Amino acid sequence: MMKMMNALKVGMVLAAGLIAGFMPLQGQGGGNGKALPKAGPVKRLADGKPDLQGFWETRNFFSAFDLETHTVATLEIPVGKGVVVDPPDGKIPYQPWALAKKQEHLNSHLADDPQAHCFLSGVPRQTYTPFGFQILQPEGNLVFFYESFHAYRIIHMNTRPHPDPAIKLFEGDSRGHWEGDTVVVDVANLNGRTWFDMAGNFHSDALHVVERYTPIDANTINYEATITDPTVFTRPWKIAFALGRNLEANYENLEYACVEGEQDLVHYTESQGGQKKDQ
Amino acid sequence: MRRTVRRASATVFALLACAAAVWGQQAAGYKAPRTRDGQPDLQGIWSARNAASGSLEAHTASQGIRAGNSVIVDPADGKIPYRTEAIAKRDENFKNRQTADPLNKCYTPGVPRLMYLPYPFQIFQTNEYLAVASEFAHTTRTIYLNGTSHLPDIEFWMGDSRAHWEGETLVVDVANFNAETWLDMSGNFHSEQMRVIERMTRVAPDELRYEATITDPKVFTRPWTIRMPLYLHREPDAQLFEYECPVYLEDEAKAKK
Repeated sequence: MMKMMNALKVGMVLAAGLIAGFMPLQGQGGGNGKALPKAGPVKRLADGKPDLQGFWETRNFFSAFDLETHTVATLEIPVGKGVVVDPPDGKIPYQPWALAKKQEHLNSHLADDPQAHCFLSGVPRQTYTPFGFQILQPEGNLVFFYESFHAYRIIHMNTRPHPDPAIKLFEGDSRGHWEGDTVVVDVANLNGRTWFDMAGNFHSDALHVVERYTPIDANTINYEATITDPTVFTRPWKIAFALGRNLEANYENLEYACVEGEQDLVHYTESQGGQKKDQ
Repeated sequence: MRRTVRRASATVFALLACAAAVWGQQAAGYKAPRTRDGQPDLQGIWSARNAASGSLEAHTASQGIRAGNSVIVDPADGKIPYRTEAIAKRDENFKNRQTADPLNKCYTPGVPRLMYLPYPFQIFQTNEYLAVASEFAHTTRTIYLNGTSHLPDIEFWMGDSRAHWEGETLVVDVANFNAETWLDMSGNFHSEQMRVIERMTRVAPDELRYEATITDPKVFTRPWTIRMPLYLHREPDAQLFEYECPVYLEDEAKAKK
C-alpha cells in the first residue's frame, strides 16, 4: 500500500486533512499568503495572442468548499467568503425545490460528493479543485492538465459546433475563441452527475457554462464563469476569482491516482448521513 | 577514381536508405510536418488496430480477447523472454484475469499498455512538452522535452517520461514505475524495475510507428521489443470523449444491489 501511496498526493479534497491545509488561508484572498513579486506584462506568442502556458492555481482556495459565503462551520466545511458576484447578494438563485435538495447534499456531502467517489469534477469545479493545473497552448487548442484526478480538458479553438447533445460528459465539451486578450470558452454537453463544491451546490444536465480567462499580467488570469441551468436556477449567475501563476522553480504536475488510492470508496458508496458505514 | 568512389558510396547510401525504409524507419521521402517550434509534428488522435491489448504474444481468441499475431519483434520467436520463475505468475494472472487485471478495476493502465488500448489518445505538442490524453479513464501522460531528468524516489502508475528527438523519432525514456500495472489482458506483467524506451516516428501522414523496448531484470532474461503502427483518426468530427471506467463500475455495483 505504501508503494501506491508514493504515487499520490493524497486527496485533500477527499479527506478531512484538507481543513488543516486550507484554514490558515481563509480570508486572505492572496492564495499562499506570501507577498507576490511584481509581475511583468502578459506574455505573448509569436502570433500576438497571450501566452497562457505554465502552471496555475486558484487564488481563492475557499471555493473548493463552498461557492457561497459560509457563515457557520458545518460537517468539515469551514467559514469563508464566497465567489458568487452575480446576483449581488452572493447567493445562488435556486428554485425552491433545488434549494431543499442542496441542503440534503450538504448534510450528506461526506458520502455523496462525486469527488469522494473519484468522479471527474466537471466545470467550473475543476478550476478551483486543489493542486492546480498546467496550460498548454499548441496550435489550434488550449489544453488544461489538472493534477487532481489526472483530469484534462481540451479547449477546441475552432468553429465546429458542440457535438450532438445526446453525448453527455463529466467535463463537457469546450469550444473557445479569443475576444481581445480574453479566451471565452463555451461549455456544453455536461452531464448532471457533478457538484460545484463540497457544500453540495449542484446542477442538472441542462447546465451550460461560459468561462472567461483574461490575463491581466504575466502571473494573473482573471477567471469568470457564468452558469445557466433553467431546470435548477431561476436565472443565470456568475462566479469570479483570480488564478495565479505557480512561481516555484522546476514545478511539475505529479500523479494523483484517485481510484487506485481511494481505499475508503467502499464506505462511501451510499449516503450514510455524512457518516462512514464503519463508524 | 575519386568520382567512382563517390558514385559507389552514393549507391551504398541509396541502398541503405532503401533498407531503412523497408526496415520501417520511414517511408521513403516522407518527413512529418513541423510544429511552430520546428519539431516533427506528432499531434493528432491516434489508436492501434491490432489485438495487442489482448496479448502482446500470438494468441487464440478467448472471452473478451480477440485472436492476434505477436507484436514482439525481438526476440525473433515473438515470445516474452520471461525468467523461469516469472512464468508461473503470468499463468496465474491469466487464470484470474477477470478479477486480477488492474484494468478491470479501472486502474491507470501504465506504459506501454495505454498506447495500444482500444481507446484513442490525442497528442499535443509544445517545444517543452508532449502531452498525451487518453479517452480511457481520462488517463494522461506528460512527456518532458525540456531536458529534465527523472524525479528521484517517486513511483508513478504511468512512469516518468523524459524524451529527446533523434531526427524524426521521439525517443522516450520511461522510468519510476510501480509494480501494479499489466502489459495486456493476458496477465503479462512486470516489476517496479521495469524501464521502457519508446520510439515514436510519424512515417506517413496517417501512421505513427510505435516501438517500445522493455527491460526488467527481475522478470525478463533480456530486453525485448514490440512494434506496431498507430493510426490517425480521420473523421472530420473526431474528438476525444470520456470513458469514465470507475463510474460505470460503481453504477453496475449499485444496480446489482
